[in-house]
Amino acid sequence: MPRNGKLVRVSLVAAAVAAVAVVAVVVTAGAASARSSSGTVNGAGSTFVAPLVTNWEGPVQQQLGLQLNYNGVGSTGGVSAITTKQVDFGASDAPLSQFNPTCNTCVQIPWALAGTGVIYNLSGLQHLRMTGAVLAQIYLGKITRWNAPAIEKLNKGKNLPGTSITVVHRSDGSGTTYNFTDYLSKVSGSWKSHVGTGTSVAWPTGEGEPKSAGVAGAVRTTPGAIGYVDVYYAVHNKLGLMAVKNRSGKFVLPKGKGIKAAAQLDTHPAKDGSLSIVDPPKSKQYRNAYPICTYTYVDVQKSSGGNAANIKKLLNWAITKGQSYGPALIFEPLPKGVVAFDKKQIKKIHS
Amino acid sequence: MTSLDVTGASRRPFSGRRLRLGDLILQGVAGIAALGSLVLVGLITWKVIEGARLSISTFGLSFVWTVAWDPVHNQFGAGSFLFGTAVTSFGALLIATPIAIGVALFLSELAPRGIRGPVTALVETLAAIPSVVIGLWGLLVLAPLLRDHVDPALHSTLGFVPLFGKASYGSNVFTAIVVLTIMILPIIASISRELFLSVPGELKEGALGLGTTRWEMIRGVVFPYARGGVAAAMILGLGRAIGEAIAVAMVIGSFTGISASLFSPGNTLAAWIAQQYAGLPTPLATSSLIYMALMLLVFSIIVNLLAQFIVRRAARRQGPSR
Repeated sequence: MPRNGKLVRVSLVAAAVAAVAVVAVVVTAGAASARSSSGTVNGAGSTFVAPLVTNWEGPVQQQLGLQLNYNGVGSTGGVSAITTKQVDFGASDAPLSQFNPTCNTCVQIPWALAGTGVIYNLSGLQHLRMTGAVLAQIYLGKITRWNAPAIEKLNKGKNLPGTSITVVHRSDGSGTTYNFTDYLSKVSGSWKSHVGTGTSVAWPTGEGEPKSAGVAGAVRTTPGAIGYVDVYYAVHNKLGLMAVKNRSGKFVLPKGKGIKAAAQLDTHPAKDGSLSIVDPPKSKQYRNAYPICTYTYVDVQKSSGGNAANIKKLLNWAITKGQSYGPALIFEPLPKGVVAFDKKQIKKIHS
Repeated sequence: MTSLDVTGASRRPFSGRRLRLGDLILQGVAGIAALGSLVLVGLITWKVIEGARLSISTFGLSFVWTVAWDPVHNQFGAGSFLFGTAVTSFGALLIATPIAIGVALFLSELAPRGIRGPVTALVETLAAIPSVVIGLWGLLVLAPLLRDHVDPALHSTLGFVPLFGKASYGSNVFTAIVVLTIMILPIIASISRELFLSVPGELKEGALGLGTTRWEMIRGVVFPYARGGVAAAMILGLGRAIGEAIAVAMVIGSFTGISASLFSPGNTLAAWIAQQYAGLPTPLATSSLIYMALMLLVFSIIVNLLAQFIVRRAARRQGPSR
């Protein structure tokens, strides 16, 4: 028994020493990390804008000395997080008016601009042509094969296979879904009456995946799949991207020129900060417009407490210097009128 | 081993013995712990009912079988999720039970003694793999495999049955059933193995002495003896399958609707709750999700009570034979 007693004593001492060591390491690490950045700004929300925001993290640390943490949980998650004040800002591609409960004490600031690409997985077929009406039929489950007459008519000369169309959509609450269904509702009366517009809808067919990355991943691994994501994910995953017909009759890709042309449709944000640039009408001005573009918003509580100064610093940078990081990720820089509106909105944030 | 009546003394703390502080503290702490767990279950149940109240008052009981999830028109129902939970859980149970009993028989009766230990350890390790790991494997490895090789083969041979419809989705109900089978197999197998090992040796040897074959002995002695316990093990496996959220969410394809085909995407109660918790567009949607959580809670309690009832009934039946 004496041997056991000694063993117990020795192990207790060892455990105590280990505990002290762990605490010491954690405290010094914590102090070190606190010293390295003078402020932290936490945000959550849209996966549509996530490529741009995560790309800002490095420059923001270097130029502003702020640590930016962004969690892409989807637009609905972002609005929910800022409404309950769990984060410093929420990001959403759908305007606040779409959510219930919504953040009534927030300012809504359009801070980025891009397109929703329609992606597909058919090897060897580049830039298939598509119209909104046919797209709606596919997502309604009415057109089920790639060599359907409606699709072949648009793509004469391309050898379309008889593969089944595997429809992929978002399963979580998504601003990208809002943009996509907004467009489908405008181009298809059938879609509007059966399904409608929303961040989350009753999809008639297809499989649901969480977040933009989930949709892109599912389309990438499933031959014959079709999906909708922010255009960056399409290019990044080397997926087929559709040229969608706009009202002026031209088939346009969601690249810089197409997005810039669509942005001309609405350059004056409404009082609540929202803008709609979906499906521009037939006109020489919008001849090159891509029909499924959207602004994406950052939502901030008007009284943001102690971190308000850091948040304002970040946002002022984001709408000016931050925009220069956009084009590489296929985000268009904000038009001047929108930047001016945003600066006024940012002034409304106080501690 | 003689049993000292230590418990007798502490059951009557005021009779004839000086009250010891240690005993009192023990009673207090243990009592608080027991009471605490009861209170916790009560609080969780109460909060879930409270959160579901809006949906219950809007839809009533018909929510349970209504097939809809439409945030745009504010129509919600658990019908498609309930269907998906039933199909995936019972499907997995149907496939896993015979395999698990086979594994248990092998490990308790048929395997050479030398390999029993390692193989048992491996089967239990299967139970230790985290659900997300199995879900990730299912998504990256199993789903494409089934989609490209197994599903089309089943569809071309058995396609006349609506159960084996067109197969183009990798993430579908069938993949979810396979994943759940893998997850509940170790539970049923290890409990069954323990039960088969606990069959009294005299009974088995008696049967063999009467001239029965190994299989007749298993069928006539081992199975009837272990029947109640195996049923309870199956119900525990079912309970696990019903509640499994993450792994199923990763492979089932999140389709809200009812389809006869195993190869179409689907959804379950637990998987949908796991996918939607981050935020819902309207208060009625949030309340409907919590209503679904309430349904899951009720099912789990029923499953648990059923398992306990079966075990107790089986123990009573075996009483005289011991």
